[in-house]
Amino acid sequence: MTMTPGLRRFALSGHLTFSVGWVGAVAAYIALDVAAAAGQDAQTLRAAYLAMELIASYVIVPLAFASLLTGLVMSLGTRWGVFRHYWVLISLVLTVIATVVLLMETGTISYFADRAADPTTSGDDLRALGSTLVHSVGGTLVLLVILVLNMYKPQGMTRYGWRKQHEQRRALQPWA
Amino acid sequence: VEKTHMADPPPYPDTGDDTGVEPDRGSTTGMPRWVKVSGIIVGVLVLLVIVLALTGVLGGQHGPEQFGPGQHGP
Repeated sequence: MTMTPGLRRFALSGHLTFSVGWVGAVAAYIALDVAAAAGQDAQTLRAAYLAMELIASYVIVPLAFASLLTGLVMSLGTRWGVFRHYWVLISLVLTVIATVVLLMETGTISYFADRAADPTTSGDDLRALGSTLVHSVGGTLVLLVILVLNMYKPQGMTRYGWRKQHEQRRALQPWA
Repeated sequence: VEKTHMADPPPYPDTGDDTGVEPDRGSTTGMPRWVKVSGIIVGVLVLLVIVLALTGVLGGQHGPEQFGPGQHGP
């Protein structure tokens, strides 16, 4: 099933918005994460942890799902397909991995925010909490790899892609 | 006479991404080199992370459970 050109451009606009928005939101999150990792002031740490949870829960997670969903729509609605080209397949796998790790990480982020919201938590306790910097920086690298794959679309078809292409050509040129 | 239909695929005028890249320009049936090289790099990195985690360089458990109940009480 292929989409009409108008619908395809609309879906592509949505996919680009959500995907690039995901990278941007993670960049903002990393700024807070660095503040949480290096900060010493209790008020700064408290604010950083609370803001990290808000950004993760209400911006990054929805953008991740929206990006995954629109990516699938774009693949299924165009001739690229989901399993026909290595770059599409690898992008999908990396997006799923990034989303799963993100969802697992939200538990830690919520815990940090709960501790920060508790007025009885001391400055020393806040400084001992740490950060999620390894995951946020690692996640950003994965998102950048996906972005590069989507921009350059390196060639290479899967066995399934070759079979499908061959079937389509035989259907178009039964005499060949 | 050599068949040329594989080298001259039907055009796909609108692939929907405006990058000028067509979906069916694959040149070989085998796995492309960039996939193999990327796979090796990822494999080495995963192995490295596992070794570092097992040796304790990356730290032990992480997440809320690492802090333990009551560890940060007032």
